Amino acid sequence: MNAAQFPAREPTDWTTDAMQRRIRARYRAEKRFRIYGLFAVLLSAGFLAFLLITMLSSGARGFTQTEIALPVDFAASDIFLEPAQLEGGDRDQLLAGADFQGLAEQTAIDAYGEDGTMLISNGAWLRLREAVADDPELLRREERIWVQASTEVDFAARGADGLHMTDERRAMIDRYAQLEADGNVRRGLSWTFLSSADSSDPTLVGIWGAFKGSLLTMIVTIALAFPVGVLAAVYLEEYAPKNRWTDLIEVSINNLAAVPSIIFGLLGLAVFINTFHLPRSAAIVGGLTLALMTMPVIVIAGRNAIKTVPPSIRDAALGVGASPVQVLTHHVLPLSLPGILTGTIIGMSRALGETAPLLLIGMRAFVPSPPSGFTDAATVLPVQIFLWSDELDPGFVEKTSAAIIVLLVFLLAMNGIAIWLRNKYEQRW
Amino acid sequence: MSLFSLFFLILGLAAIGWITARMRAMRMRPAAPAPRPHSLPGYHGWYVALWLAIPALAFLVLWSILMPGLVEQWVLASPAAQALPAADIQRTAILSEAHALADGSLSAAFNEEARALVPAFQEANSFYGTIGIVATLLLAFAGGGFAFLRVRPDFRARNRVEKLVMWVLLLASLIAILTTVGIVASLLFETIVFFDRISITEFLFGTHWNPQSATAGGDEGSFGAIPLFWGTILIGAIIAMIVAIPLGLMSAVYLTQYARPRVRSIMKPVLEILAGVPTVVYGYFAALTVAPAVRDFAVNILGVSSASSESAIAAGVVMGVMIIPFVSSMADDSLAAVPGAMRDGSLAMGATSSETIKRVLIPAALPGIVGGVLLAVSRAIGETMIVVMAAGLAANLTANPFESVTTVTVQIVQLLTGDQEFNSSKTLAAFALGLVLFIVTLLLNIIALSVVKRFREAYE
Repeated sequence: MNAAQFPAREPTDWTTDAMQRRIRARYRAEKRFRIYGLFAVLLSAGFLAFLLITMLSSGARGFTQTEIALPVDFAASDIFLEPAQLEGGDRDQLLAGADFQGLAEQTAIDAYGEDGTMLISNGAWLRLREAVADDPELLRREERIWVQASTEVDFAARGADGLHMTDERRAMIDRYAQLEADGNVRRGLSWTFLSSADSSDPTLVGIWGAFKGSLLTMIVTIALAFPVGVLAAVYLEEYAPKNRWTDLIEVSINNLAAVPSIIFGLLGLAVFINTFHLPRSAAIVGGLTLALMTMPVIVIAGRNAIKTVPPSIRDAALGVGASPVQVLTHHVLPLSLPGILTGTIIGMSRALGETAPLLLIGMRAFVPSPPSGFTDAATVLPVQIFLWSDELDPGFVEKTSAAIIVLLVFLLAMNGIAIWLRNKYEQRW
Repeated sequence: MSLFSLFFLILGLAAIGWITARMRAMRMRPAAPAPRPHSLPGYHGWYVALWLAIPALAFLVLWSILMPGLVEQWVLASPAAQALPAADIQRTAILSEAHALADGSLSAAFNEEARALVPAFQEANSFYGTIGIVATLLLAFAGGGFAFLRVRPDFRARNRVEKLVMWVLLLASLIAILTTVGIVASLLFETIVFFDRISITEFLFGTHWNPQSATAGGDEGSFGAIPLFWGTILIGAIIAMIVAIPLGLMSAVYLTQYARPRVRSIMKPVLEILAGVPTVVYGYFAALTVAPAVRDFAVNILGVSSASSESAIAAGVVMGVMIIPFVSSMADDSLAAVPGAMRDGSLAMGATSSETIKRVLIPAALPGIVGGVLLAVSRAIGETMIVVMAAGLAANLTANPFESVTTVTVQIVQLLTGDQEFNSSKTLAAFALGLVLFIVTLLLNIIALSVVKRFREAYE
């Protein structure tokens, strides 16, 4: 009926060269665009792969250590202790008073020449003391004891693929080959790294102290953030009346979830440390700070999980006479628990990787022994990584990467549990 | 008995109260067709347990806060305390030492006076400790007994317990508000003290930042934060976004429009891992691997001799990589929210997929994408560890990305991790920077969320 308004038009002739060229150009553009997209995905994934491979390849060495044999003659040494003395209660004091350090150094010089002390780690003598503590009979005889080698030997053990070669390093590599031929060195899994805490010597550092600190901090965090977060989510989703107060609560929870983590550090410093005078760098302060940070994440995840429970279940329960709290505890919470737990684990894994707020509340202190309680000075895995990355000694590079591997494995395990929970208990209504 | 074990004793008593009250309520079950009891036995149990535990524990908490003060008064009133020096600092030092001696955490005394105070401390501790234990137990038994007597068939235990549950739920959700108020109050309080010393205009518009040279008297002229703001914008809002926006957007487009479902189901979680890697790992990666490579590239190939090993670009690029999943998932959501009819219409008119995406989907989803980018910017400027480890400390006002710049978050960490007293201008400056950061991220979030919300509503 409108035909009169439009002049009759020739149909497009798609076979002309001009049109074919345009179509080809458009298809080429299509293909290019698609390749850009693929390229973006692959580049992003490539970054991830590069990051992980870099960390893995340099971190794998952090778990190993080089040990060197010291033929220690306790009987002929300056340590005038008798095995019988060590049976008594003052064993630790006697051992602490004895000069094992001098003995280790003297033995190294006797066995490997004037610069023998360069081959052993600064803390090698601790091994001698432990050996004597385990078996006092050693004091009567000579014994070959494996001690940690120094960083230089450790580097030499990996051969010539070090980044920067100096004459000293080349000499050390030759020396290492000689030691290896004599059977005086061995490489293996480093129990020191897995069982001790921070130290200023890279051959003596361990991850256990930071790991335990992380564990204690996370216990505090989850003990506070989980109940409060779940209760708040339940209130907001199930019972809260629609008014200005609940709006305010909602807005502040959504904003807290987006506040930069370092702001929580400032809050922790001002409130927990300067107002309540809780101990600096303790796991409890770290846990409190991280709990405030994690709680909004749990509230948001919890609300989403509770929302997925269909209203018909609530209505049915109310219909047979359940009270609102019974509806909650008998039906809504059990049904939404997998979702809440998934959200909690994701929030916890964010808290576990968090560094900045903990730096501000003093958890960057040097902590040479694992914390034994919530109020002891502690450090956590990410902060330990940060501290080691600042060290100048090149021996710390691989220890830092090894600590990163530990942290990533920890995180991977947590996220694995979250995914497993989601897949196992996820219900579609 | 320590207050700690008293805590567990109360919990144990509460458990016993729960069991006995429940048993008593069970026995109330009517044998004849009398009216059934109002509440289930379990509710009676809870009623008794809560009455037993809550007043006693509240008193216990109060007492453990009050007790140190009372003990100190007792000790100061004792004859041994007359010999204490009048100076306040020495006095507190000796007192705290005596305290440590008394509870056994210190084995040898440093001050003679401290040792003299130990008996007074122990006496006061045992006196007030006994009062605390007796009063707590009395409260527990009184509360429990009161509640136990009320266990009767017509008693509405359930309503009482549920009322308390409601209060607990409300309190839990108020903690969120409390945290927000705590953040704002602590930041504002310190910032106001700071602006008493340094003028606000100098802080916000000054171009010279050098707090290390600031002394007790001459603070003026060292706290101009413009170079910090610029560094933050350069790294977080410019360089990181140059990396994150194209990669994130194109990834989202590819994964939603082109990729087969199988590829999508693998690649989407892989990209999300990027957001889950702890920032300290990115920081280490940036400092150890990216920064030296960037410097060598700039010096050897571009010929920028001033290139720093703590360049803005190294930190910015790594931060951009971290942000990719945020941009990508926001873009993903926005593209999915565009009605399918618009896409189908465009395809039906003969447009290719890429033409549909570029001319129809992205313009339609633009508000959502912009909102996502704003959220990503707010995330990037608040990010700390990457810049602490890879960017520098020098407050340069430069547009050259190969030079070293510093950011707000770096300076907060730097100012607060030294060992200085809490009220120096340096620590106060950190709180002022924190307040600026908090306000800016808050504004960005509010704008972004309202943009996204309006966009969603437009298609509903």
